[in-house]
Amino acid sequence: MTDGTAGAADKAGDTGDTGVTGVAGAGPPADLPEAAVRRLESTAFSSGLSVPDFAACLDLGLQPVALVQGFCVMQWGWYGQGSGYMRGMSPYVGGPQVAGSYSETYRCPHGFVSNEHRSWGQNLEQPWVEDAWAQGYGSAYQRMLEEATAHGAHGVIGVVDRVSSIADTGTTEFHFLGTAVTVDDGPTPAGGVPWSTYLAGQRLTKSIEAGFMPVAVVAALASVRVWAYCMTEYLMEGSMSWGSPTGPHLVEQVSKAHMAVRQLARKHVRQQLAGDELHGATIDVVARELSQGDEVIDCTLRGNRVRRFKDFDPVELPRPTVRLV
Amino acid sequence: MTEQPEVPPEPVAHDLPKDAAHRLEELEHGLFTSDLSVNEFLLVKEAGFHPLGFVMGSSIYHIGIQTRKWGESQELTKLTEAMYTARELAMNRMEEEAEQLGADGVVGVRLDVNYYEWGNDSAEFIAFGTAVKAEDGTSYRNALGKPFTSDLSGQDFWTLMQTGHVPQALVMGTCVFHIAHRKLTQALGSMGQNVELPNFTQALYEARELAMTRMQDEAGRLNASGIVGVRLEEKSHQWGSHTIEFLALGTAVTKGSGEVTLPKPITIISLDN
Amino acid sequence: MSTSFSPGTTPPADIRAEMLLGARSLATPAPPSEKRGITSDLSVDEALLLHAAGWEPLDLVCGVAVVSVPVGVWNWGRGAISLASDAHDQAVDQAAAQLRGECSKVHGHGVVGVRVEVSVRTHHVDVELVGTAVRPISGKDARGNDAAQAMPFVSDLSARDFTLLQRAGWMPVGLAFGASFVYAPRRTAGTAMKQTRQNVELTNYTEAMYSARESAMEKMQRSALHAGGQGVVEVKVTEGPMSFARHAVGFTAWGTAVRLVAEAHQFVQPQVVLPLDDAVVTFEAESLRGSESKGRRR
Repeated sequence: MTDGTAGAADKAGDTGDTGVTGVAGAGPPADLPEAAVRRLESTAFSSGLSVPDFAACLDLGLQPVALVQGFCVMQWGWYGQGSGYMRGMSPYVGGPQVAGSYSETYRCPHGFVSNEHRSWGQNLEQPWVEDAWAQGYGSAYQRMLEEATAHGAHGVIGVVDRVSSIADTGTTEFHFLGTAVTVDDGPTPAGGVPWSTYLAGQRLTKSIEAGFMPVAVVAALASVRVWAYCMTEYLMEGSMSWGSPTGPHLVEQVSKAHMAVRQLARKHVRQQLAGDELHGATIDVVARELSQGDEVIDCTLRGNRVRRFKDFDPVELPRPTVRLV
Repeated sequence: MTEQPEVPPEPVAHDLPKDAAHRLEELEHGLFTSDLSVNEFLLVKEAGFHPLGFVMGSSIYHIGIQTRKWGESQELTKLTEAMYTARELAMNRMEEEAEQLGADGVVGVRLDVNYYEWGNDSAEFIAFGTAVKAEDGTSYRNALGKPFTSDLSGQDFWTLMQTGHVPQALVMGTCVFHIAHRKLTQALGSMGQNVELPNFTQALYEARELAMTRMQDEAGRLNASGIVGVRLEEKSHQWGSHTIEFLALGTAVTKGSGEVTLPKPITIISLDN
Repeated sequence: MSTSFSPGTTPPADIRAEMLLGARSLATPAPPSEKRGITSDLSVDEALLLHAAGWEPLDLVCGVAVVSVPVGVWNWGRGAISLASDAHDQAVDQAAAQLRGECSKVHGHGVVGVRVEVSVRTHHVDVELVGTAVRPISGKDARGNDAAQAMPFVSDLSARDFTLLQRAGWMPVGLAFGASFVYAPRRTAGTAMKQTRQNVELTNYTEAMYSARESAMEKMQRSALHAGGQGVVEVKVTEGPMSFARHAVGFTAWGTAVRLVAEAHQFVQPQVVLPLDDAVVTFEAESLRGSESKGRRR
């Protein structure tokens, strides 16, 4: 324990009203493993910063105190796979959809054809998947912050987060790594919860110069399940059937699902911003085809939540440049 | 040893495909296209040129077969000729497109070779670039009265113009060389020893010299005062490891005004990469 | 993106004070805000440059379209596969329309830094466009128009290139796309036999591939003209056999269509920099610390 702010650790789990942490679904107060406690008690600092980043960090008046990390492994019980007869049904909720979530249905234009004919289809947001993801991500994040708080750190810079599936076990690992820092003569952040950012080095310096204080790393997952109806199935599989157009045709159901999943991810992230700005956002989309035009589309959006603490200073406009190398 | 053809093959006049003619007509109506970045676009403008259009030329060429002697290092003249002629064809068509746009030259030329699964022993040779025209109406055509060509980027083009030089043409020399396999007895004899293999050294030396000399001959025909940005590329293409193409490429330049107007550079050190 | 400094310039001493100021802003809980947070995929550098040029980011916007390719188009045939290029055109148009729709919804004047992903599959063409909607800070564009334009511009230029272009008097108008797909030509067995040992140009092959490439470019030009462009910068050309149909070759070309909005091209004196290190720098941006030199190397 390096200074008096360590007591703030008690409050670390309590993030609801601080307006500082950005991640929903706070995890339980973690009991750090013994190895972590031993490592954290060492007096020498460790940091994941490169030399230029380290130099820039000192320049800003930040002292690295420790390399901190947080983990969480989540198991997926039910992920939207399953047979077509279950379409629209979630094992976790009573009805076909949670209030306020996205859902769209498609009716077959053909009338009764056969029992196998997919006479209706649905695009459905999977809030149970999104919530589980937010819980895993949030817990790993909280654990990293707890390690940082245990060091009396004010913030965590150069955060690296990794979300990876552990092969074939139906589980996902959330892993955070960052360098905990203290601000020279700086105040303890509200609620004792350290701020965090993906940035380090000169990029962090520029952010500060520009008047953007990092608040938290923010991420959200949106998941949409596509239960294809006959037309979507024909178009995506290229099967010839009556009613399928002969020329190129917009696959409306799939296109809409793709738009929706991205809009949902932005909505989830915006809910965590509380009026702050998000910089350097990255958007990753993974679409997994299940069968016969059915798919699950997951969209992850992450970025740096920053708060404006002063107005922009003007910068010089760019000029075309020539490098003599 | 045969030289690569003394004079490049005359392009068959107007052998561009119909679609090319359509596209170029559109470009003549004022639209320009270019693969230059914004930075390069502004530098080309700064150098007093306006981009006219993205131009290209292509040739799918069947490369003949030449028997190689197992134990002898030799130039494979038939392959040399094929590699040279095919590139020259692609370049000529690109120049023709530039000509049709009334260009003074082509900057940022890239030469590519594509192989397709369905094209046995044949390859596609492509040349791309951005045709440019001087905005003050001065002609920058080269000694042969054709638009100049150069593989310089927008940045390099601007810098070259600031040094008082003008590009003439992209010049090249090529040489396809077969390097002898060693006889079993030779290989056994030198096993476990660290020795120079003089016949290998000599073969590689000769091949590179041939490619470079041919490139210089091309520049000589243009009365160029020098060649900048020479690159020497070595590739085995699809001939196996003992047959190598040596390709020398560079931009021939002539001295223009001779005035160097390059502003003093500002030195910088990057803090991250 | 990267940073550089010129030896001899020292950073101002007050950067620590700024850091402290920032840290203090987090010491008290933020008042509840009804503001709609801004999201953007711009870095700090890009946000600053945009601001310097009088523009501000509004929101991250997307456009996605999936268009089916009719059955059997990839089978053996002759000449251009127009159904596939029609599907491509329809997909990029639809995706761009979605992107513009999202941009208009947040009252943007255009979208910069658009990431373009086009994938052509056996049965469908997928197009994804993601970028940041922007608008002039004053709410007015260069011509003094108040409201968001009916037709917001779309551009894959970075914020730096956008400001650079604007400074020279140009504005992006839209993305121009063109694609063409063609069946590989065939030689008769007899011709192939005759040509085995010869050096000879395969003129029908050349013609087919050359035409297809020109046709992709021409479509791109037409779409640029249609968008009201006077030129297309940063044209990207992709080409190659389709992974699922090796006898078919696809060509695509796209770039940002631009238009001169000033009276004439504004000349901007280039900056010449001499890096003292070997690091390959891909992007340079302005810092607030005075007038360090910036460069961009490809």
